[in-house]
Amino acid sequence: MTPRRLLTIAFLVAQAWMISACRDRDRAAADDRAELGAIRGAPVTDPARASADSVVTIANATLEPGALGTVFSARVDGWKGPGDQPFEVTVRTADPASALHRRFGTITMGTSLRARAPDLGQYPCTSCHLGRRMLLADERVADAHDNIESVHPAQTGAICSTCHAADDVELLALKSGERATLDHAYRLCAQCHFSQAESWAGGAHGKRLDGWQGRRVVMGCADCHDPHAPALEPRIPFRAPQIERPRGPRP
Amino acid sequence: MSAERPQDTPNGAAESTVLGKRVDRRRALSVLIGGMAAAAGAASACSPLSAMTDEEKEAKRLAWREYIKGNYRTMTEAERAETIARLEHLAKVKQGTDVTIQSTGAQPGVVFGYAFNISKCQGFRSCVEACINENNLDRRAATQYIRIFEMEDGVIDLDHADATFQHEVPAEGHFYLGTQCFQCADPPCVKVCPVGATWQEPDGITVVDYDWCIGCRYCMAACPYWARRFNWSAPEVPAAEVNPNQHYLGNRARKVGVVEKCTFCIHRTRQGRLPACVEACPTGARVFGNLLDPKSEIRWVLANKRVFRLRRI
Repeated sequence: MTPRRLLTIAFLVAQAWMISACRDRDRAAADDRAELGAIRGAPVTDPARASADSVVTIANATLEPGALGTVFSARVDGWKGPGDQPFEVTVRTADPASALHRRFGTITMGTSLRARAPDLGQYPCTSCHLGRRMLLADERVADAHDNIESVHPAQTGAICSTCHAADDVELLALKSGERATLDHAYRLCAQCHFSQAESWAGGAHGKRLDGWQGRRVVMGCADCHDPHAPALEPRIPFRAPQIERPRGPRP
Repeated sequence: MSAERPQDTPNGAAESTVLGKRVDRRRALSVLIGGMAAAAGAASACSPLSAMTDEEKEAKRLAWREYIKGNYRTMTEAERAETIARLEHLAKVKQGTDVTIQSTGAQPGVVFGYAFNISKCQGFRSCVEACINENNLDRRAATQYIRIFEMEDGVIDLDHADATFQHEVPAEGHFYLGTQCFQCADPPCVKVCPVGATWQEPDGITVVDYDWCIGCRYCMAACPYWARRFNWSAPEVPAAEVNPNQHYLGNRARKVGVVEKCTFCIHRTRQGRLPACVEACPTGARVFGNLLDPKSEIRWVLANKRVFRLRRI
């Protein structure tokens, strides 16, 4: 074994160690954020922006019998559900470890439920966007957000500031000039997708959580749809696993 | 659950006429047992009682007492509790599982209904998976209550639909439609049952008493939707996968030779929860609720969306 080869191996080992150390650090940071979220209830950096106004505990027996999940929810502003009843929207996301759960929102299937904000990779936005401002036409924008799959903006010719408030990056900008927090993103979506929004409010689009009876808490738009790439991914359908029949005559 | 049907249900009146007349169970049994005593001699040569373990003996004793239940009449609350306790104990002895069996009755003022959105379903079959797990369906026969049909855009033609598709979904130019028991308002399966082992509950759910079913499968022939399943062999569910949250009229352990069907997850829905298929659907294609409540989502859908009934007569 030549010294050169040894050096290469040493370098590779060091690199692997560094990568795993970085991952551990990221994971620890994510855990910390989640921990904070769990403790504080509605984890937002600025209490004035907290919009989750209630906590719903839902039974969660599909995979974990008897386990309970917690959903943060907020009143849906200015919308009426069936029978003109007010309803609530979830302010949380599923287990961040499972991209599938996050994407499809099968949150009642045994994942722990947390408020949404701590699971957003780059939240609060002001951790980079100093002064809450968005720097448009800066080439660093694309690099910093390379985790975002830009399908919806690309299709519609939208840029960041079409939806995000350029002067206050943690808020969404509505066409009326109003601002909405990420928890009330349905207000933004409904500006174009008004027929879906109407169905959503009535109960024909999206998902209600937990029960047909009692408080109506429904999942928000971004709980199922990635706002930047909203279409559901195609899948290979479930097929029931079968215990093999023994060969020969039936017992 | 003829013997257990709550007295306060509208169907309660029919139960005393099971088999057309009141039966003196003791007399019927004495004849039966006489016949069995002769058969027992032959049977014991194959499986002598003494060769059984205590657990096996206990299992046999519990299963037999559960089957007999004393006599033919509406059971008292205490007897219902005894039956539940026996079944729970049986599950423990047989498979080591700690199950809880409810006998919760229908809520007053509730009739369940569900709608299936064919423009939303993507054919993922998450509902099928949830249903199998929730209802303790036979893993060996791969029993499924739900079938998802893949059809070409433009026409609903179940005769040329594919319920066995196994490719990436949604497929281009196709749509998906799920069928399971629709809990008919006027169920043909109930009419044909010769022993009254299946009936409609006040909340619209058609149920089967697995201890009363004689396995004739007339109900399966009568069902226009092929929504009932027969247990050709004793259903097998690995102990670790048994859902312990059970209902007497729903997902409790079934036995060989009886018919079973979707009960809208009776153990969940009677407690205000959603059926497992509705909860698991990632696309929100299933809407479930109380048809009598004008403020329910199902009523909103019926009033505001283009709806049709799937008729197969």
